[in-house]
Amino acid sequence: MSGPTVRSGDRGFRYTLVAPSIFVLLLIGVFPIVYLLMVSFQGLTMTDNDTSFQGLLNFRALLDDTRLWQSLMHTVFFTAIALPAELLLGLAMAQLFIDRMPGRQVFIALLVLPVVVAPIVSGATWSLMFDNRFGPINQILGWITGEEMAVLWTVKPHLVYPAILMAEIWQWTPFMFLLLLAALSGVDKSQLEAASIDGAGWWSTFFRIVLPAIWPVMAVAILIRGLDLFRLFDVVWALTKGGPGTMTETISIFTYVKGFQQFETSYTGAVALLIIVLLTVLLTVLLKRVSIAR
Amino acid sequence: MSDVSSLRRMAAAVRFALLPIAATGMLLGSGGASAASAAQTAVDAAKPLCAGGKTITIVWEAGLQSLDPQNFSGPMWEKLTGCKVKVVEVPASEMFTKIMQEYRAGTGAYDALNVVPAWMPDLVQAGALEPLDALVDKYKYRAELKNIAPTYRDNQMTVNGKIYGFPDDGDVFVMYYRKDIFADAALKKAFKAQFKYDLAPPKTWKQFDEIGAFLTEKLKAKGTYGASMFREAGYGNFLFQERFRNEGGRFFDGNTMKATINSPVGVKVFEGWRAENRFMPPGVEKFGFVENLATFVKGESAMTISWPPYGRFAAGYLANEKALDWVPKTTIAGKVGYALPPGGHPQLAMGFALSVASTSKQKEAAYLFIQWLNSEEISNQRVKLPYALRDPFRNSHFTNPEYLKLWPDAKNYLATLQAGSKTGLLDLSLIQTDKYEEALRQGISRLWAGEDAKKILDDIAKEWDTVTQKVGVDKQKAVYNAWAAKGGAYPK
Repeated sequence: MSGPTVRSGDRGFRYTLVAPSIFVLLLIGVFPIVYLLMVSFQGLTMTDNDTSFQGLLNFRALLDDTRLWQSLMHTVFFTAIALPAELLLGLAMAQLFIDRMPGRQVFIALLVLPVVVAPIVSGATWSLMFDNRFGPINQILGWITGEEMAVLWTVKPHLVYPAILMAEIWQWTPFMFLLLLAALSGVDKSQLEAASIDGAGWWSTFFRIVLPAIWPVMAVAILIRGLDLFRLFDVVWALTKGGPGTMTETISIFTYVKGFQQFETSYTGAVALLIIVLLTVLLTVLLKRVSIAR
Repeated sequence: MSDVSSLRRMAAAVRFALLPIAATGMLLGSGGASAASAAQTAVDAAKPLCAGGKTITIVWEAGLQSLDPQNFSGPMWEKLTGCKVKVVEVPASEMFTKIMQEYRAGTGAYDALNVVPAWMPDLVQAGALEPLDALVDKYKYRAELKNIAPTYRDNQMTVNGKIYGFPDDGDVFVMYYRKDIFADAALKKAFKAQFKYDLAPPKTWKQFDEIGAFLTEKLKAKGTYGASMFREAGYGNFLFQERFRNEGGRFFDGNTMKATINSPVGVKVFEGWRAENRFMPPGVEKFGFVENLATFVKGESAMTISWPPYGRFAAGYLANEKALDWVPKTTIAGKVGYALPPGGHPQLAMGFALSVASTSKQKEAAYLFIQWLNSEEISNQRVKLPYALRDPFRNSHFTNPEYLKLWPDAKNYLATLQAGSKTGLLDLSLIQTDKYEEALRQGISRLWAGEDAKKILDDIAKEWDTVTQKVGVDKQKAVYNAWAAKGGAYPK
């Protein structure tokens, strides 16, 4: 089949039209990465004037930096707990609200409110909630136990992770809920009725009809939240600043501390490149796996 | 900060209330300055530079501190010279970052700066601060600089022999204690019987432990603990530095630059802290400035150590000031005594110096503004502002007759601040100081998490050695030894 022929003048005109867009994309997409790459091979710190070429020194330092790898592991840990919890809770809530009921819209609107709160505000609020002296959580525990409670939620190692996860899951479960509610609403009712007539149980119907139907939306929700959790910063910063010690330091907090508190500009560039590579690999694998980017 | 908007709302009222007083003070030359004072010299020199309505932009700590230039000194400077003053409020924790970012960007957005003296080596090495010696001579400020209390003048003003900032805030830790409790006859008798010495403000940490535990045992039922203390890592950092050195510790081996913070002294301090928490209020591990203040002024602890504003707040000095409405109302006015912390060498924690940004496009006008702020005449008024948190730092501040009348015990308060300024210990100040302090802060938070004190200190020492290696051992050694040679580095 032969299409309309394109004259060279037309082709040039097309390129002229798209050139500004390409230029902008290069400027905001490629230039920062190239610049980042250049910086990561230098020895820049904000407090020194040394701009000398350091070769792979910063990348070698990455390998020996136990704090970096620990922060990465903390991030993975937060993601591994929070993501399934938010997914399951969101799905359960969506199932509850799938049927019509009085005041359903109002309840949904109220449930979604945490999502519109800025994460740093959410973190600050939870920090007050967990305050050992004036926080309502300790006060409620005090009422229940009948004695003054001074639980140090953000100080003691066995409490600090539950505290952060509670805040994170509280804020983002509604996001999962909203997306999954929309997905569940789109499931073909006739298939559900047919399954019911055929005697299929709830689990069977869910796994064979509902889950395949909502999977594309669920996969996107998992991806979005997974990436969000990978850059987890605000809530942890507000609650613990990565402490006790560096016990809850995430990769984002580590990068911020190195870049903006300790001014290790080039080293932070190397860390940022590492994150870009890790995320690119991870995303490529995931996108292939969930079959939504073909 | 959440209180900023409310602070600004009251700005106009305070401004108009204080301006006439301030202007009168200037005209009369309060503080005993002559007609050719440094303040007047600065005003006369600034007038032609300010012609046409220039604006001096100064970086100041956000919150109460910045009410000084916003409500008091800024409007007065504009009235006297025609130069407007724009205040860039920055939280203390971000000031270093903002100053460095602006310097690297080279925009010239900042003319004058408030800098913490411990940051000076870093800022000077980077080139962010303007050397001031030539301007000091040109505007004849050396004589008045000499009247700054020696500790601040000799230790917080110069780097490598050059002046880079004017010490402008006499931060020093003071021990506050409840005079009424320490004077209680029954308690005194019981204490003497148990410990064989008189109940009095502790001179050593051993005494502090004994008195604190004793008072908690006797008074806890009435809601008062023997002591409360900063324990949150950011504040604990300063208390550790103070106590570690009072107990004989040294941060580094001056020959090898190996960290010695993990010495037995360091372990003793960490373990002592943990033991002391048992006679302090529950949750003391999280106590920062406000939590500790609230506990003390509400009468829930008998002793604490903190910066000078605690003394003013506890005395109820201008308690009805709107800007201070976040401060818990004192229930102990008239009952507070002042002493040097155990060991007798208090930490000169933080403090501020006034500097000129090297990227400023109007360095001379900026310099004249900070000379005027820092001068005998104007600083004597500024340290009395109830809301601004600037603490006495000149010899004349400690004997200012107006200050002495502010509350009944102000004389003892000022005498204690002055004594502290004479024996005070400087914050550790090296190249990349914050990296060392960050390791210490993390160590303190690990201490409250329950980890072993020796293990934590070993890790801190390892981290310090790594930072030293990165900076360069010889380079850092030179900076450390210069710092350690200063009078306020270690107790003499």
